[in-house]
Amino acid sequence: MAEPKLRVLMVSDFFFPNFGGVENHIYYLSQCLLNLGHKVVVMTHAYGNRSGVRYMTGGLKVYYVPWRPFTMQNTFPTVYGTLPIVRTILKRERITVVHGHQAFSTLCHEALMHARTMGYRVVFTDHSLYGFADVGSIHMNKVLQFTLADIDQAICVSHTSKENTVLRSGLAPGKVFMIPNAVDTAMFKPADVRPSSDDVITIVVISRLVYRKGADLLVEVIPEVCRLYPNVRFVVGGDGPKHVRLEEMREKHSLQDRVEMLGAVPHSRVRSVLVTGHIFLNSSLTEAFCIAILEAASCGLLTVSTRVGGVLPDDMVVLAEPDPDDMVRAIEKAISILPSINPEEMHNRMKKLYSWQDVAKRTEIVYDRALKCSNRNLLERLSRFLSCGAWAGKVFCMVMIIDYLLWRLLQLLQPDDDIEEAPDINFCN
Amino acid sequence: MVSSSLSSKRYTYIHESGSETRRGAIDIHHVIINRSRSTGYARLMGLAFFLVILGVSMYSFIEKDNPVRTLSWSCLLSGFFVVIQSRKLVKKESVIIMPTFGIQIETQYLSGKTVSRFIPIDKILKPMLVECVTPVTCYWSLSLFLRGEEQLTLVFKELRPSLKMLVPIWKALCTVISTDQSEIITEEKHVVSG
Repeated sequence: MAEPKLRVLMVSDFFFPNFGGVENHIYYLSQCLLNLGHKVVVMTHAYGNRSGVRYMTGGLKVYYVPWRPFTMQNTFPTVYGTLPIVRTILKRERITVVHGHQAFSTLCHEALMHARTMGYRVVFTDHSLYGFADVGSIHMNKVLQFTLADIDQAICVSHTSKENTVLRSGLAPGKVFMIPNAVDTAMFKPADVRPSSDDVITIVVISRLVYRKGADLLVEVIPEVCRLYPNVRFVVGGDGPKHVRLEEMREKHSLQDRVEMLGAVPHSRVRSVLVTGHIFLNSSLTEAFCIAILEAASCGLLTVSTRVGGVLPDDMVVLAEPDPDDMVRAIEKAISILPSINPEEMHNRMKKLYSWQDVAKRTEIVYDRALKCSNRNLLERLSRFLSCGAWAGKVFCMVMIIDYLLWRLLQLLQPDDDIEEAPDINFCN
Repeated sequence: MVSSSLSSKRYTYIHESGSETRRGAIDIHHVIINRSRSTGYARLMGLAFFLVILGVSMYSFIEKDNPVRTLSWSCLLSGFFVVIQSRKLVKKESVIIMPTFGIQIETQYLSGKTVSRFIPIDKILKPMLVECVTPVTCYWSLSLFLRGEEQLTLVFKELRPSLKMLVPIWKALCTVISTDQSEIITEEKHVVSG
């Protein structure tokens, strides 16, 4: 097999067996990059017994490093503790680009810092939106500012997310690429036989029932729509603290036969729930990139959504303000245009618009751009940190200087030649 | 008779096989640490000296009144540390492969002590090369999957030779195991048909 063009290390605290959007993103992106002929290695922390090296489909090598997670699946932040293992992995696998995911991941920030110290090219992808006002956000934004001060390129998953990241970190907008997430259209296909929309129209809601996902809006919207349209029924999948409020709403308006509560739906069963409906309702107050609406559109459902990040073509979605009356109006409009919807045609369009192969090709361009960035020496890089703030800038400079010295000490104790390169194991497809 | 040897900065690998290349010849693989007896002790002495200085300076900040007592305690503790650690200094680890019989894993220490373990051939299911990840490093190791044991058994317990040195040993082990397993299958076929 030919020598891989790029050797990428994906770093994040969030990877399988933990389940979520970031994990999915890293996995699908890695698989598509492997198909394009690059070498991809993933580094994450150990999950329980799962520690060491594992190989996934297509020869994706995953290092589950035995650092204990301490809160919300994040590795305990020791600032310099991960320097030896990161250096070993980078040298063993002959990595050329390090790609970190998710601002909330401590392992990602540490690995990016060490990779920069050692002169590797670094790319960062931000997947979520964060606030500015509370104590946790302020501190995290400062850490993000530190990491992004010295980065080569950054990727955000939507324009909303790009605005948010640029404001939080002070990064130059020209360095940030926008590559939207994609959806696995092979998994999310419309039903073979579409449920008839003549007698009953089914509106599906699948989300965590929390404040941020607009569960309170649902409590207002559902009874109103049920009152206006006797032939509409709702299917609500997902669980969370607001579950109680929805149950109360059902009781109060006697909607037990018109609103079906499914509880938590595992991701493997989401498609089977989606294909029973005609319309998908998303009431999130804020979202960096709403994959749920893409999954629904891929299954051929018309979407009614609040204005969140993540774009669908105008004829596939009806947008509304996060206000109950406006959402009811949007649902009315959706019901009226429902007969003109063709699920198969929607699915085919989604296949072309949102595919992981496309995301991988665009990410490849970002990597090539990162590789072209010139390598700055320590003093030039330190000057970038000084602009981060009066006190913060000096603290950041100290942190980087100590990291540099520790790296040199490690090179004395264990020279680069002593680290043996791991052979590339080729899996025949 | 030495049939091949490999050398790196830290380890030397020596392969001894029987004088005739016939099936059933005993195969011996050694991995030797490249340091003289004195370097190992010198390192420990240096570390002990450092500990003494550290102990004295720490105590002189906390307990300023009796430096002689703290010095003697530091020397005693460091001496104790040197004695304990010197027992762990390894000189050589060997694998002796006896086809159809078993393998013997030996560890020889600088103090002259040898620890060995014999594993009968039918207990070994498979030898494998595994990447071990620790919180600070990652290295290759040769391990055996044994019948009836949950944990893998390391062939080289103290030393960490490179992959180049481990591959010929692994191949030799695989050949011996597969020969043995195919003989067992042939015997079973004879028993069934006969």
